[in-house]
Amino acid sequence: MTERVTEQLVVGDVVADHTYWITRENLVRYAGASGDFNPIHWNERVATSVGLPGVIAHGMLTMALAGRLLTDWLGDPAAVVEYGVRFARPVVVPDDDIGVAVRVAAAVTEVRDDGLVALELTVKVDEQKVLTQARALCRLPADRPSQP
Amino acid sequence: MPIDPSVVGRVYPPQLYEVSREKIREFAEAIGDANAAYIDTAAARGYGHADVVAPPTFVMIPVMNGFDLLMKDLGIEFARVVHVDQRFTYSQPLPVGTRVEATTRLDGVRAVAGNDLLKIRTEVRAEDGSDICLSEATLLVRPEDSDGRDASD
Repeated sequence: MTERVTEQLVVGDVVADHTYWITRENLVRYAGASGDFNPIHWNERVATSVGLPGVIAHGMLTMALAGRLLTDWLGDPAAVVEYGVRFARPVVVPDDDIGVAVRVAAAVTEVRDDGLVALELTVKVDEQKVLTQARALCRLPADRPSQP
Repeated sequence: MPIDPSVVGRVYPPQLYEVSREKIREFAEAIGDANAAYIDTAAARGYGHADVVAPPTFVMIPVMNGFDLLMKDLGIEFARVVHVDQRFTYSQPLPVGTRVEATTRLDGVRAVAGNDLLKIRTEVRAEDGSDICLSEATLLVRPEDSDGRDASD
C-alpha cells in the first residue's frame, strides 16, 4: 500500500474507494466493542418508537469504516492527523443477512508543503450522502519524494 | 424543557481509561479492520511505534465516558441523543498500555427547533500531561416530551 502513497498526488485524485457492508451482527459487535449500547442500534421496537425508520448504525461505526479507507491506504493508522465528519443521514440496517452497502471514496483536496495531505471523503448509501463534511488530514510516509 | 444555558462552561472530572491489547483487538475486529498495526507488535514497530496502536476512532471510548457524565449531570437520557458531528485532532498515536485522562467541557448550548444542540470538547491526555487527541462533538438532544422518552426502557 505504501507505494501508492509515495506516488505524486494531485488535487482531485481519488486515492481509494471501497464498499463496506453493515449487518445487524456488525452493530451488536460494535456496541460491545465501543460500549455504545443505545437501543436504537439493536432494537427495532425502540428505534421505531423514536421515529426512526428502523435500527440504524452507530454514526461512529460509519465514521470508523470511512476511516478504514484512509488507514488501509496509508498503512500506518497514526498517519491520520485530523478526522471529522457530520452525520447527515441515518444508515438504516435491515434485518437480513446482507445488510446495507456503504460506499466510501477519498479524494485529495490539498497537497501541503509540510507533507500533509487533505482529503475529502464521500460516504453514500443508495447514492445519498450519509456523512457530509467528511474530511481528514493525513501525513504521508517520510520516504515520499519531495514536490517538484 | 430546554437546557439552561447557565450550564455552559461546566468541566467534568477527568475520566481515566487504560488502553488494553484485547480492547484494541476487539474494536478493530468490530470495524472489520485487519490492519496489522492493531494486533502485531512487529508490524506496529515497522511504522515507528513501540507497540500496537489503537484505530483512529478508538479514542471515542474514553470520550463517551465523559459524555455519560455530562448527560447524567444534565438529566439527559441516552435515547434522546443524536450525534450530529464529530471531529478528532490527533497529537500523538495511542499505543497499547497508555493510561489516558479524558476531560469533558460543555462548550455551548443552543436551542434549535425545539431541540438542544450541545457542543462538547474533550481533551484526551496521557498520564504525563501530553496531548493525545482533542475531540469536538455536537450532540442534538430531543425534548423530554417527545417519543424519545419511551426509548430509555
